[in-house]
Amino acid sequence: MTATGEVLLKVDNLTVEFDTPRGPVRAVDGVSWQVRAGETLAILGESGSGKSVSTQALTGILEMPPGRIVSGTAEYRGADLIAMTTKERRKIVGDRITMVFQDSLSALNPVQSVGTQIAECYRVHRGLSKKDALKRAAEMLDQVRIPAAAKRARDYPHEFSGGMRQRVMLAMALALDPDVLIADEPTTALDVTVQAQILELIAELQAERDMGVVLITHDLGVVSDVADNVVVMYAGHVVERASTAAALDHPVHPYTEGLLGSMPSADLKGQELPTIPGTPPSLRSIPSGCAFRPRCPIAIEECAHDVPPLLTVAPGRDAACIRRTTLAEKEAV
Amino acid sequence: MIRYILRRVVAAIPIGVIVTLGVYALVFAMPGDPLRELAGDKPIPAAVLAAKRAQFHLDDPFIVQYLLSMKDILTGNFGTTFAGADIADQLRLRIPVTLKLTLLANVFQWTFGLLFGIYAGFKRNGWIDRSLLLATLVLLAVPGLVAFFAAQFVFGVQLKWFPVSGVLDGFPTSYLLPSLVIGLLGFAGLARLMRTSIVETVNADFVKTARAKGLGEQRVLWRHILPNAMLPVVTFLGLDLAGMFGGAIITESIFNLPGLGQFMFQAIKLKEGGVVVLLSTLAFLSFILINLLVDLLYGILDPRVRHV
Repeated sequence: MTATGEVLLKVDNLTVEFDTPRGPVRAVDGVSWQVRAGETLAILGESGSGKSVSTQALTGILEMPPGRIVSGTAEYRGADLIAMTTKERRKIVGDRITMVFQDSLSALNPVQSVGTQIAECYRVHRGLSKKDALKRAAEMLDQVRIPAAAKRARDYPHEFSGGMRQRVMLAMALALDPDVLIADEPTTALDVTVQAQILELIAELQAERDMGVVLITHDLGVVSDVADNVVVMYAGHVVERASTAAALDHPVHPYTEGLLGSMPSADLKGQELPTIPGTPPSLRSIPSGCAFRPRCPIAIEECAHDVPPLLTVAPGRDAACIRRTTLAEKEAV
Repeated sequence: MIRYILRRVVAAIPIGVIVTLGVYALVFAMPGDPLRELAGDKPIPAAVLAAKRAQFHLDDPFIVQYLLSMKDILTGNFGTTFAGADIADQLRLRIPVTLKLTLLANVFQWTFGLLFGIYAGFKRNGWIDRSLLLATLVLLAVPGLVAFFAAQFVFGVQLKWFPVSGVLDGFPTSYLLPSLVIGLLGFAGLARLMRTSIVETVNADFVKTARAKGLGEQRVLWRHILPNAMLPVVTFLGLDLAGMFGGAIITESIFNLPGLGQFMFQAIKLKEGGVVVLLSTLAFLSFILINLLVDLLYGILDPRVRHV
């Protein structure tokens, strides 16, 4: 866990709602996290837990309406991205904070060559000439290990394999040497071997640049491989925040525990894989109190009363579970 | 690229044979005697009739007539109509009329269609969008014939804004009213297509990527959304342009524009198989050519279907 780097992006109490014909739906509720230079922060959660929505809201690419930021701040080096004008934000998002998305085939413009798409970053943010921008784009493709980069820059997205396309996405995101890279499930659509290559590449480029990486994923394996710290989200809430090692070895929240328990491992060979009973709640009908309560093996009556606050159980460890946080406090006394 | 074009042209030949043969057969099967139609109620001397019949090979079997017509067309020896007009001269006079009408109508249709479609696509559920939906339903429900006669009566006869018919006022005055009506009848469908295509494209992931790159809205629109949203519209363009000739038959007859459509109408009325087949061949050739051009254009716009 790198606690030394400068805090680059600090999200505080972010709440996002969607307006639907049947009333507003809260997709992200009071989420806070931060990422430092050189740190990899994983945001872990199932689909619908609000992990992508939170980053899309703070970068301003969330469709608004129907989306709506109800409260919260997202400070990049002290400047609040949410409060600033679109024009000001565009100078930061796309330049200092960049993003990589899951499905690289649909995330790249199908009718533009990849070189042109990367060069666009230099043209818009650095004002480079077309020729220089294309040259830099080819260099960038080379940096993400695309063979014959200068030639391939003229190719179109559909002419690349999935892994190569994700490298193109990375080249585009890293073209301007950003401070923070937000990678939204960057390896989900890829084969396991290619997945590892991409993650390694991100780690390598991160080390070179001392960049903060926010890695959104639903894959615990990915988290344990590359993340320094992890934020676990459930139904729009942060339920646990810890260093990766601590979260994986001694999960505090029962949800994290359940996720870990349902990971296949050699020890469980031949046995049925344990699962968390039930399904994640619909955002329209989040249970009262703790949203995880109906699926929780240790839930008690009090869990239904209030949304459990995110409490610090140990230095650098927060969890939102009244059963565990009170327990831990008792233990600490 | 050259090979691709050649392949397309060669593939068009059998289709051309089937189309011309079919058209000729249909004209041949029409009831009535062409020369008697031409003469009206006047009696024709038997010798004249026989000479005319021989000149136009009317007593030969169907397939011989067809082959003779095709030979004339392919050798550029178009001959004369039953009434004695030189067909080559007729074509020289009439092709520009139809081209002017079709192109002007397309200018109107595309201007209205693209403007409204793009606007409605970006301002979804705004009042322009809603009125466009209504206008589409109304326009699609109005038969072309009704619209042409109504426009001719209201704007030509009553208000006198446009000439009622004919081409005496030259281009573009004489062509404005029919072109506007064609354009208005056709623009709504095009606008809907453009709108739907934009609505689908603005939600695409690559548009999100473009925004995440910190691009301005104008750049996102012109560089990322429109080039992709235009693709289905280009396909529509080909079909639409090709269908214009069919529409010209009605429009030119109603507005008395001496173009190919009117020529076709007269030829069908007189059962002049040679002329009908000649005009059908022309329409067919332009159809093939326009489709080829559209396919090539599509290849330029969309690298995924590029032909090597």
